[in-house]
Amino acid sequence: MTGSTAPPAPFTGRVGRADAAFRYATIAAGLVVLVVLGAIAVTTVRRALPAFDLMGFRFLTSSRWDPNADQFGAKAFLYGSLVASAIALVIAVPVSIGIALFTTQVVPARWRRPIIYTVDLLAVVPSVVFGLWGILVFAKVVPGFYDNIASAVHPIPGLRSLFGSSHGRSYMTAGVILAVMITPIITSLAREVIDTCSPSDREGAYALGATRWEMICGVVLPHAKNGLVGAVMLGLGRAMGETIAVALVIGSANNISANLFASGDALPARIANEWGEAEGNWRAALIGLAVTLFAVTILVNLLAAFIVNRSTAKSQGAR
Amino acid sequence: MLTAADLAPRRSRRTVTNTAMTVLMALSVVAILVPLAAVLYTVVSKGASQLSPDFLTKDIPIVTRQKGPGIGPAIIGTVLITTVAAVMAVPVGILAAIYLNEYSAGSRLGKIVRFMATVMTGVPSVVMGLFVYVLYTLRFKQNAFGGSLALAFLMLPIIIRSTEEMLKLVPNNLREASAALGARRSRTILTVSLPAALPGVVSGCLLAIARAAGETAPILFVVGATNTVNANMFNGVNTALSAQIFTNAQQPFAGAQARAWGAAFTLLSLAFLVTLAARLITARFALKR
Amino acid sequence: MATVSLVAIVLVGLLGLTGCGDESGGGTDTLGGRLNGSGATFPKTFYEVAIYEFLKQHQATTITYSGGGSGKGRTDLQENVVDWAGSDGLVKDADRVKYKGGEFLYFPTVIAPITVAYNLSGISELNLSPATIAKIFQREVTAWDDPAIVAENPKVAAKLKGGITVAHRSDGSGTTENFTKFLEKAVGTNAGGAWKLKSGSTVDWPADTQAGNGNAGVSQIVKDTKGAVGYVDYSDAVATEMKFAAVANKTGAYVTPTLAGASAAVEGAKINDDLSYDPLWADGAASYPITAPTWILVYAKQGTATQAETLRSFLLYLLTDAQKLADSVDYAAIPASLAARAVTQLDRITAP
Repeated sequence: MTGSTAPPAPFTGRVGRADAAFRYATIAAGLVVLVVLGAIAVTTVRRALPAFDLMGFRFLTSSRWDPNADQFGAKAFLYGSLVASAIALVIAVPVSIGIALFTTQVVPARWRRPIIYTVDLLAVVPSVVFGLWGILVFAKVVPGFYDNIASAVHPIPGLRSLFGSSHGRSYMTAGVILAVMITPIITSLAREVIDTCSPSDREGAYALGATRWEMICGVVLPHAKNGLVGAVMLGLGRAMGETIAVALVIGSANNISANLFASGDALPARIANEWGEAEGNWRAALIGLAVTLFAVTILVNLLAAFIVNRSTAKSQGAR
Repeated sequence: MLTAADLAPRRSRRTVTNTAMTVLMALSVVAILVPLAAVLYTVVSKGASQLSPDFLTKDIPIVTRQKGPGIGPAIIGTVLITTVAAVMAVPVGILAAIYLNEYSAGSRLGKIVRFMATVMTGVPSVVMGLFVYVLYTLRFKQNAFGGSLALAFLMLPIIIRSTEEMLKLVPNNLREASAALGARRSRTILTVSLPAALPGVVSGCLLAIARAAGETAPILFVVGATNTVNANMFNGVNTALSAQIFTNAQQPFAGAQARAWGAAFTLLSLAFLVTLAARLITARFALKR
Repeated sequence: MATVSLVAIVLVGLLGLTGCGDESGGGTDTLGGRLNGSGATFPKTFYEVAIYEFLKQHQATTITYSGGGSGKGRTDLQENVVDWAGSDGLVKDADRVKYKGGEFLYFPTVIAPITVAYNLSGISELNLSPATIAKIFQREVTAWDDPAIVAENPKVAAKLKGGITVAHRSDGSGTTENFTKFLEKAVGTNAGGAWKLKSGSTVDWPADTQAGNGNAGVSQIVKDTKGAVGYVDYSDAVATEMKFAAVANKTGAYVTPTLAGASAAVEGAKINDDLSYDPLWADGAASYPITAPTWILVYAKQGTATQAETLRSFLLYLLTDAQKLADSVDYAAIPASLAARAVTQLDRITAP
């Protein structure tokens, strides 16, 4: 065949420049993410340094928080964040996985969409509305329930310290509300992961005579295990970062207690409550709390992304 | 000889377990619907009764313990702050997603940006509020624009992720056909890929906006509080529905709490309407997986 | 109840009608300017009512007060974020350099009791001595049927039961400062009831206590939690229909918090040159021992002439006409002599 075999010339002139400009614009937009994230990291760590210098490791190991005396120990807040999030996970994980399995394996296709839409409605409710309901309605009615549980487990020594004197604003109340808030997140991710399980594997289990539950246990859950762990960790990250609903119902007490019905405080809640008036070292300490929170949530989210990516790569084959 | 009775399933421990587990799974759905119903019921019953034209337009009472309307300034504040935030975040987010899906093609920068966008979705809103306070509010005082900045930063990674997902669904042969006709890359993206993905992109942006409208912590730090309407984004404190709900939730007075419920009902209705619009667009127009 | 809310709605409606749009109303009023304030929640309701009335006469002005606690007010004034700050406590000498606008002035505005509010069903009168109060808030007394409380309340001893939930402030509070100063003065460092937590706008409260945001937050906790006790300003306590204790004063008499008791406490107080004074743990048989003062802090040098004029006008209103409003919202007016001295101090507010 005659004719030039050279590759076609790229666009030049005004058209070419406009095309290149667009490309650079999109790269710049992508870089905005890096710049902002970097700025957050640099600014917060730099401004938290006075507090870290002042307290050293005791910032995380001391529970004495006394701004007037320049004492900033965040242990109680870290403890509260972890306890409330743990309660939230204990409640939300079985429920979320149950919902995900129910909608993907049990219900006929016609019912899937309505149930999923309804569960996702929970994600639309702003956290401040959950907080409002929590402080004005939920926290007022639960002390009765807590008292019942406390008296029921009173004979058992181990459980007695976990379920002691009840307060409406407590780790437990915060944990329950957090559970309600993170369930839609975990559910939607769990559904996605479970859906990647191939129908042939599932039908193979049925062909061997398995009941639906046995099929789930033997095929779906092992396949989705990593993804489910990732989904749970994402929910944990969300629970730890949740500020407003927790601030309203956790009790704002600088307290470390095994009693799940006791009042406590959490990292983001303490920041939200004290930020307005803090200055100098106090403000640096609050920024230090933010850095701690940021570090923990990043770690959790990184772990989650890593685990989920690994499991979807496995199921979709090598790219 | 085999009879129908022989072929019928028999009650055994395995089938009992199966039924029990199915019941448990169904119960978990019920379990999550209970708090949803409780919250919705309370917000509607206590909040809808507050709604009136006065409530939506009048200024917030100066005297906190006073009963009566309204929360007009908060509605205007929420709309103003969220709209400006969207105007800032949506173009940047879409452009970044275009970069990730159309231009980066597995390059290292693309992977880093995608990864960082995921990390950014996990930044707690209080940290973002703090960041904007330190960088913007200390210099320019509290005003509505600071709030828009914080909300824009919160919305950006969500918009990037959802737009990228939608762009991925556009079949490649559309792009190839456009290139075959001689269109340059940017033109292909703007006239073929993006329009094809548009309903999904719009729906994703609407969902991000609904989320941002409910954020409270950044507003508290960066925007301040006021009782009257302030249409000036750059001068003077402002307020928003979320912040009003938060402060009134901690008041013991029935008047203040009633305004909190009314504001919650308004905010929830706005969020639901936007979400409903997003879902309708997805269902009717968007590309499906 | 319904008529009260109806009247309130009508009033607010009228405010709306008069407030919206009519910038030239109020006759010859030309007072512009915008004053943002924040700080103590102790006098918040009084300031809100005063602002409401003041703005009716000066519609071109904007005045806001966002509360947040005395600590926030002082911090905001330091950084020039607000034009006026409410504070129930005085600025520490070491902190004076932080105030970027230079010299600041104290203007006393109202006085009121700090009540010890409690949530116990069936008990409408409770006597508490400062020593017992100190023990309760230090969590040395943790149940209502403790001998210390029963000894002071023999008549209702049978109804005292249950654990005590202590509520205090989570934010930096002048109310906290005055309450803890009172305990220091009243109980001191004697053995048996010594107040060990010192005084200040924040204090190292025992771990198993609850915190609320602002006076309103604490009153919400006490109102919603059975067996709770907390320190709340008189106005909020009355408005939320809470019960409060009669506290033993210096002469040993149990005095219930009233505006008369507050005024009695201020009568003998020494007033310093900068208009600060201390009515806590006052002498006199009728004095309520936990009577708290509060001030507005402003810079002497204002940025513009308009700001200075608006500020002087607003403060003058607070010190004269607004004093008559005080007891309608359960605050006691400051003594006339103190108000007069404060009015002369207004001349020290100047513009460049």
